[in-house]
Amino acid sequence: MRQVLNIANYETRHVFKDIVLFGMVFLIPLAYIAFFSCVYIAGILTDIPLGIVDLDNSKVSREITTTFKNCPKFKTIDSINTYDQLEKAMNNGTVRAGIVVPEDYAQKTSHRQDTKIMAVYDASNLIWGYNIKRYTSQVIGEIRANHTASYLAGQGYTEKEVKNIMSSISGNIEVWYNPTYNYTAFILPALIMMVLHQIGLLSVCLTVTREKENNCWLQYLCSPIARWKIFLGKALPYFIAIFFNYALLTWSTSYFIDLKIIGSTALIVLLGFLYSTFITSAGFFISTKVPNSLQATRYIMLLSIPMFIISGYTWPATHIPGFINFLARLLPFTWMAEGFRLVTLKELGFQYVNHIILILAAAAALSTILALQFKKRQKPREKGLTVNCGPTYPGNK
Amino acid sequence: MEPVITVENLVQSAGKKTILNRVSFEVYRGESLGIFGTGDTGKTSLMHILAGVDKFKSGSVEVLGFNIKKTEKFKRKLGLVTQAPSLFNDLKVSENLDFIAVLKGVKKDRIPGIINQFELENYLDRPVKKLDSGVYQRLSTACALLNEPEILIADEPLRSTDIYSTRIIITELKKFIAEGGTCLWSFKSPEFFDLADRIAWLDEGQVNMLTPWRAREKWTSQVQDIYNSSGENNAQ
Amino acid sequence: MLNSYLTIMRREITYMWRDKGLRYILLLVTLLSLFLFWGTYSAQLLKDIPTAVVDLDRSNASREITDKLKTAENLKITARPGSFAELKELIKQGEVVTGVVIPEDYAKDTALGRHTRIYTVIDGSNFIYATNASTAVLSVTRTVSAEVGIQQLTGSGMQYQQAQEAYRGIQIQQEPWFNPTLNYAFFLVLGWVLNVWQQCCTLASCMIIAGETGMCSWLQIKAAGFSRLKLFTSKSVVHVITFMLLILPVYIIANWVFKIPFNDHFWLLTLFTLVFTISLHSIGALASSVARNSLDATRYGMIIALPSFVLSGYTWPLEAMPQALQVFAKVIPQTWFFQGVNYITFKNPGWEFISHYFIVLAALAAVFYTLAAAITAYRY
Repeated sequence: MRQVLNIANYETRHVFKDIVLFGMVFLIPLAYIAFFSCVYIAGILTDIPLGIVDLDNSKVSREITTTFKNCPKFKTIDSINTYDQLEKAMNNGTVRAGIVVPEDYAQKTSHRQDTKIMAVYDASNLIWGYNIKRYTSQVIGEIRANHTASYLAGQGYTEKEVKNIMSSISGNIEVWYNPTYNYTAFILPALIMMVLHQIGLLSVCLTVTREKENNCWLQYLCSPIARWKIFLGKALPYFIAIFFNYALLTWSTSYFIDLKIIGSTALIVLLGFLYSTFITSAGFFISTKVPNSLQATRYIMLLSIPMFIISGYTWPATHIPGFINFLARLLPFTWMAEGFRLVTLKELGFQYVNHIILILAAAAALSTILALQFKKRQKPREKGLTVNCGPTYPGNK
Repeated sequence: MEPVITVENLVQSAGKKTILNRVSFEVYRGESLGIFGTGDTGKTSLMHILAGVDKFKSGSVEVLGFNIKKTEKFKRKLGLVTQAPSLFNDLKVSENLDFIAVLKGVKKDRIPGIINQFELENYLDRPVKKLDSGVYQRLSTACALLNEPEILIADEPLRSTDIYSTRIIITELKKFIAEGGTCLWSFKSPEFFDLADRIAWLDEGQVNMLTPWRAREKWTSQVQDIYNSSGENNAQ
Repeated sequence: MLNSYLTIMRREITYMWRDKGLRYILLLVTLLSLFLFWGTYSAQLLKDIPTAVVDLDRSNASREITDKLKTAENLKITARPGSFAELKELIKQGEVVTGVVIPEDYAKDTALGRHTRIYTVIDGSNFIYATNASTAVLSVTRTVSAEVGIQQLTGSGMQYQQAQEAYRGIQIQQEPWFNPTLNYAFFLVLGWVLNVWQQCCTLASCMIIAGETGMCSWLQIKAAGFSRLKLFTSKSVVHVITFMLLILPVYIIANWVFKIPFNDHFWLLTLFTLVFTISLHSIGALASSVARNSLDATRYGMIIALPSFVLSGYTWPLEAMPQALQVFAKVIPQTWFFQGVNYITFKNPGWEFISHYFIVLAALAAVFYTLAAAITAYRY
């Protein structure tokens, strides 16, 4: 144990000496999440620029446009008055939604002629698209209700009667877990898991690679020290750092930007423990395999996006073909992101996440076993032409 | 005499290239075996195999009675000085001694004595990166001797060392052998022939065991051949 | 003169080719990601949102509602739990995203004009599911309530046509522009692939200075007194051409095979990509000029490249970010690129508008190249 702690001690000292590595281990995860928090700070899309083209300008049309104007989600851009202006503004992104009331709308409706109000919106970005579609549907509902109410009032119904008729069915929609459709609450937990995964791997994957580059790995190889001691000693500081970051990010996002993190603390800790173990071991495993830090860094960095997309965290897994889902399920990130969401956002208990915990435990165990498989004997190297793929890369010596 | 290292039919290759081709020899307790070869003849490969650092293709190697493929126990009684710098660049001299003692699992009270032996007192706070090659080699040898090994494997320990350091290292090696240690050390300069009891001459994947005297003779005749052939070429 | 440029270019190609890691990344990753992302989003539309109906009434009227939900846009009834508790369980387990509860005595109450309540639950934990589900459910409940309303009005003696007028008097048609089917693949596949592509390019372009000065052969170049500008230009030309060669097949396959709409702007997009490539390369050069070695250069480059997509407003809109961040985003070429790609592939912004994007990208490239040159001149 003394040996393990000593190795851990020297590894920690190395982390503190290498300024870039130190940054990666302690600062960058926090910096990234602070940055992402800023990006998504709004959480809910409001002030959507809206162009209103009222070609009718009747009492009815004004009522309709006013309802849109009064909807707090939209912000009317007053300079738009014609259809051409609206089209241009939609094209160059000045407005994201528009209402067009055709000419003679009021007259035609009173004559039961075919005419329609158009509510257009920008679907080129579906974050805009989905949100505006939902908001517009709500406003349209309101407009129709207003219409019904005033129509019935015009027919001589009393206010109470109107209310009675209209509320005969109430269609309450209750949104659980994230009632405001807050985008931050949705996306940030996954980003935290991604950052921990990527930055964690990037730092751990250098631990043996670095020694190989400096040839110091020989000192480990020619010493009578057991493999598990090398692994444990070198991995321990990173494991602590990753778990610390996990706790720090979870706590600080919930404290500073009110990210909804509820649910059982024990489960959150357990998930974090397994996930950190997996990251550390996987990173160590990679570091025993790759030729140098440059190559390791390149490959790991490119992992993030595909991993995120296929995980089914955003675009749901039900709509992803089987073989991609299969691929995604091999990645612990997929399970962790889902598990964290279930525990912290949906506040579910152990029985709902036990399979996830089991899988993460298996992943942690497997990666640890793999990490321990490194050989204390090197293969003799063939001296071929290895550009940046041998034990060196430009500038490391 | 009792063999401490027994090598039988050792074959080593990297890719398609054969480095060692069915090499067999024995090393006896208390001897100083010089491993000689000019250029890339597989000295480092051989020594890394004996130190249990490199895999090898076939054959058997026993060190101190242990089959080195099966166990690491022999490493407790073994020291390795590598040819390429392999000390921890990010650490100071004292930290290197301390850390390598940890890796070898030996008590740290050995360290002051070793520092004294290799006259490293004035360098303890220096980062190893900044050391002269002579001092670096002294430190390297010191680290290899930390665990009081029975066998010391030193890969070109006297390459590019200054005279003062060379003297210290040679003295310490002699002392090590006098105290019963076995030493395998490689070099590629003929001036060190006399420091060894026997010479293992490596050439084209083969080992020839020679006395220092025979080795010197062989060297002289090889040098002569080269001069002669180039002389003929000039004549044409 | 030209010969020496060509020699360096050839050497640069060899250098990139022999760097096996880089070779595989450049050759495979972008194209693979196109297939992977297209595969992931191959459903394209978010139809068939798993829906549960709890019919506690089991009357004709309640079955009608179920039928409406069945035919509703984007919903698919996948479960018919017998009680609210069961529905709750299904949502917790993530089996269904939304559930509609039709109360007991629904038919009786509506027939008698009594108040009744259709209760809908939506799992809000996935934003994409939740927004779409809520829109879909909303339209169904509204139709139902209108029908019940009409029924009641006619029951109280109003003419059917009048009753209908009361509820259906106002026709507002929703019309999504630019991506009329709300196709998620059209929206994101190209964006994500371009994001992967720009990361691969960053990896390569970060090598441009640190990959040269970090090798012993740098001394040869220095000793030969070879013009650095010439060296840099030749290398950069190779990089930019390579990057373009990587993305062109992606554009072709995306447009012709996967039918991702480019709005007939194929060549404009290609030209725009070229300008961006240069400005992306300039960032790589800057990272490369300040770094200690090629590893750090790669790290610095990626610090910008990794989060740039998030910052670019391609998904979460730029307008919704804090002001300071918007200013910062505008210094990064990726922001202009991803915004521009969105405009070009979906819209018809007009040359006057998009030329602005070309100019900014070119200007950013000029600034970054100048900085990189100054730093390199100072350091080496």
